[in-house]
Amino acid sequence: MPEIILEAFNLDYSYPDGTKALRTINLKIEKGEKLTILGSNGAGKSTLFMQFNGLYRPNSGSIKYQGQAISYKNKPLIELRKKVGIVFQDPDSQLFSSSVYQDISFGPLNLGLSDQEVEARVDQALIDTETTDLEYKPTHLLSYGQKKRVSIAGVLAMEPEVIIFDEPTAGLDPRHAREFMQLLKNLSDEGKTIIISTHDVDLAYSWSDRLVIMSSGEIIAQGEPGELFLQPELIEQADLALPWLLEIYCGLVEKGWFPTSTPLPKTREELLLILPLASMNISPIPKDSK
Amino acid sequence: MINIDSYAYSNHLKKIHPGEKSLFAMITLAVCLTSPTVITPLIVLALMAGLIIFKAGIPGRVFLKLLLVPFSFLVLSVLTIAFSISTDPSGFWIAETINGLTIGIRYPDLNTAAQLFLRSLGAVSCLYFLALTTPMTEIITVLHKLRVPVIITELMLLIYRFIFVFMETAITIKRAQSSRLGYVSLKISYRSLSRLFSALLGKVFVKSQELYNAMAARCYTGEIKVLTKKYPVNLRNYLLIIGLELPLILINLLGRR
Repeated sequence: MPEIILEAFNLDYSYPDGTKALRTINLKIEKGEKLTILGSNGAGKSTLFMQFNGLYRPNSGSIKYQGQAISYKNKPLIELRKKVGIVFQDPDSQLFSSSVYQDISFGPLNLGLSDQEVEARVDQALIDTETTDLEYKPTHLLSYGQKKRVSIAGVLAMEPEVIIFDEPTAGLDPRHAREFMQLLKNLSDEGKTIIISTHDVDLAYSWSDRLVIMSSGEIIAQGEPGELFLQPELIEQADLALPWLLEIYCGLVEKGWFPTSTPLPKTREELLLILPLASMNISPIPKDSK
Repeated sequence: MINIDSYAYSNHLKKIHPGEKSLFAMITLAVCLTSPTVITPLIVLALMAGLIIFKAGIPGRVFLKLLLVPFSFLVLSVLTIAFSISTDPSGFWIAETINGLTIGIRYPDLNTAAQLFLRSLGAVSCLYFLALTTPMTEIITVLHKLRVPVIITELMLLIYRFIFVFMETAITIKRAQSSRLGYVSLKISYRSLSRLFSALLGKVFVKSQELYNAMAARCYTGEIKVLTKKYPVNLRNYLLIIGLELPLILINLLGRR
């Protein structure tokens, strides 16, 4: 039985104006897993994230860290936030200092580490997010993608156990999005638990161990990405789309290029691997048409 | 103002310890302000202009433009000191008497005016030196080390950052309004501008809440602790500061007699 690191139990939350943001959320997150939360705008993803490190307090139900319901007193809350880090969607609301270096050092200093240790962590975070050359630049002269990477560095430097990324690849160009995925892979290999929210179905399908689909404040499905994406009514209900890999796969199965028992390809490489060579099969183009 | 800010991050003196630059600017400022003659302010002005243009690599054009900012204000105030009106026509250096009233310049007044003018310009050039070569964040760190109350340095840090966030937001809103003809006539301009301000005010509250959340998520407990990249301390620079200030102080002392 894998260890459950974070859990939402019967969580209900309304905004002060009465809008129901989360309805009876039950979610168990296993240590070291790669979890994606998919959902359209306003589905409650960000609100749920704020619950996970105690920024918002549920109306009923609870958040459990390693099986213990979290306390909202100052000290335990800080202990929780050392373990659960969030990278917010808008880097402008996360970066409070005009100096890249200062901003990244803020989190680790709050952990009570020595200056030398903080310096080492900041330098490492700068390397991991490829922001070393931005060190001397003020945050207001950075591009959106650069700010995003700096805000990621600010959380990485705290070395939390669980890292939550709210729409991490939104606003990143393809190269940096790819590098960010590599960074996620490295973090995952180190044993970190990673939760991301996204609209990018391709990313959600290829990267995650497990998928959670949210719609209007509720979890409408959770399970293996392959299983969930093959339920058209579910995808429809959550305003999502099919990943291109699955679309091609389904098309190829339908046209008889390979049997229905073929395992779902997780990546482009896997798809290309199972794709039979044209000469070994009956070509779909009639030969006598010349 | 925004120009000054970007030069602060890109000039050739940015790698020099901010403490050394601040010390130099402040001592020179004090020496310039306490000078009894016009010689020291002139030397200070030349020194700062040389450092800013040749050492820091800031275009002379930019520095001149910046000096022109306080110039008009200075000229006006200096003129009021230089000119005097009196019923007694004696003692004037240049004067015009109309209906028994004499308007003109007295020699000692002219001297005071010239001194004041140069002293202010010299002092302003010292501040420009600091502003053009040292990023605001570094100045705040220096203030923090000088034990300026934390509440002031923290506010400076946040205000400085948010000037740019709000300016960006305001520019975006303005652009969106202009593209829909929001500033086509005076009346419409007023209306658009008032909407811009109210939209901005709303954003201030949202942004400050978001910022607080984001800081709380990184274990913020009420005190903003940050590390600043360390700059090498250069003994040569301290010797240089002493070497430059001592003669200036001497000139001041000699001028006092």
